[in-house]
Amino acid sequence: MTNTSTFLCILRRSTVAGAVAAAAVVVGPASANKDPVTPKQLKLYEEAFMEEVRKGDLLFHGDAAMAEQLGVKLSTTGWACAMCHPMASDTHPHAFPKFQASMAKFATLRDMINWCIEKPNQGEKIDPESEAMKALEAYITWSNTGSVLVPGKY
Amino acid sequence: MSDELDRIRREMHAVLQPPGVRPDDSLQITRRTFIHRSLLFGAASVGQTFAWWPLLNTIDVAHAAEAPFKFAWISDTHLYERSLNTRFVDKVVRAVQEVQAMDPPADFLIFGGDLAQLGKIEELELGVELLKDLTIKKYYIPGEHDWYLDMGKKWGELFGQPNWTFDHKGVRFIGLDTVSRGPDYWTAKKMTPEERMGHMATLDGTVAGAWAGVGRDQLDWMQKTLADWDKSKPIVIFSHNPLYEYYPPWNFWVRDWREVNDVLKPYAKVTNIHGHVHQVLYNEIGSMRSIGMLATSWPWPYAPEGVPKLTKPMIRVDPGDLFDGVGWETVSVNADDKVDVEYIMWGRKEVFVQSPEDHDKSIEEVIRPRIADNQYPWANP
Repeated sequence: MTNTSTFLCILRRSTVAGAVAAAAVVVGPASANKDPVTPKQLKLYEEAFMEEVRKGDLLFHGDAAMAEQLGVKLSTTGWACAMCHPMASDTHPHAFPKFQASMAKFATLRDMINWCIEKPNQGEKIDPESEAMKALEAYITWSNTGSVLVPGKY
Repeated sequence: MSDELDRIRREMHAVLQPPGVRPDDSLQITRRTFIHRSLLFGAASVGQTFAWWPLLNTIDVAHAAEAPFKFAWISDTHLYERSLNTRFVDKVVRAVQEVQAMDPPADFLIFGGDLAQLGKIEELELGVELLKDLTIKKYYIPGEHDWYLDMGKKWGELFGQPNWTFDHKGVRFIGLDTVSRGPDYWTAKKMTPEERMGHMATLDGTVAGAWAGVGRDQLDWMQKTLADWDKSKPIVIFSHNPLYEYYPPWNFWVRDWREVNDVLKPYAKVTNIHGHVHQVLYNEIGSMRSIGMLATSWPWPYAPEGVPKLTKPMIRVDPGDLFDGVGWETVSVNADDKVDVEYIMWGRKEVFVQSPEDHDKSIEEVIRPRIADNQYPWANP
């Protein structure tokens, strides 16, 4: 019995290890964490990020084509995020999460983005896990690069 | 960008603020706040409407006028077509009703530009329709949002010459066009009028460039206009953009501020009143003082750098209240020969920041220009 369970345990471990190895071969990044990062990889990572920044920039500035591409309706009033937040000014992504008086709750940046979409913009709230949300978050945080983290600050 | 701004600002300081140069000593500035008791709401409705009472903040600037008078300023209404957005319409209606209700009435109204949002005929005509209820004399200067769809054609048909001058009770008034002389960014890129307008209508856009300027021809006109004016008598200049360099990335300036200063330098009592910034702003530039006005549509945050040290900032705005941080102004020349600029910010007991936390810059930020508007095909036509 003991031998059998040990064998099964080893078998299970082997299976898991095999799956991870296979995933690493297929996906890449899992093993990439253990390898020295190449400039080529860094460039790819940065490009992936900047592509989301670009999409977020367009959404933030009311670009209709990008909103359609990502299936969101961020405004019905003509208003766009950038009209109150030029260059993502006054968004303070480096202060979240914090107590947000306008929502009377401890809120994340994504909560705040959705609040602005729903209230001033009168648009349709978006899925916090959606690409549109991540793109908006990417643009806002990218634009605030250099701001010092002050979580919780009013 | 920051280093470049620092450099320009140091240069501006060196050019405009040599030792001993300040606005005339008689141009005393004081500030006071009081509840505005008269406009639309009678005493009976105080209970219901207290939260909506406009409250006035005053900047007193002494001038030597012949007789007391008062005028009103409305700007930056940014009207969309009524079918798309009625909120901005509501705010214009409110401002117009309040100006119309002024007692004693204002001698005239200055409309400081950006009547429309996207320069459309329907938007400009909507503005005319809404302002029609105001029966006093009206003077208009253009904003960039009014101009770049049809290059000022409709605006000109409705309001005539964009720059003008008149004398009123001992004060010379000048209206300037600071928007129409933008460098051509559209022809080479074969933009449609709508695309051209779209870039112009984006405050933090990077395509339209340094469009704000007075221009040599208009400077010459201004110099000629002022040639017969006594150098000790008051001049009030209206412009859409501030006539100094505050934050060029948002065109919170005119690019030829040096030349503007050259023309105005001989005159002792010059006040510039401008729109575009959608915020309370005060500065002294050489011998001129400069006052920024509120929009009716929405407030801009203060720029991340360059806010004049002399500005007492306005309150951090509640984004859940569409009437917060916006409004209009009265400018009155009273019996003591003082010009009062009164900020009428709807729904506020106190327009100015009362504690550091009330300032929209209480959380420091370092921000950078956008990128998505300056990529292919815009950057590489």
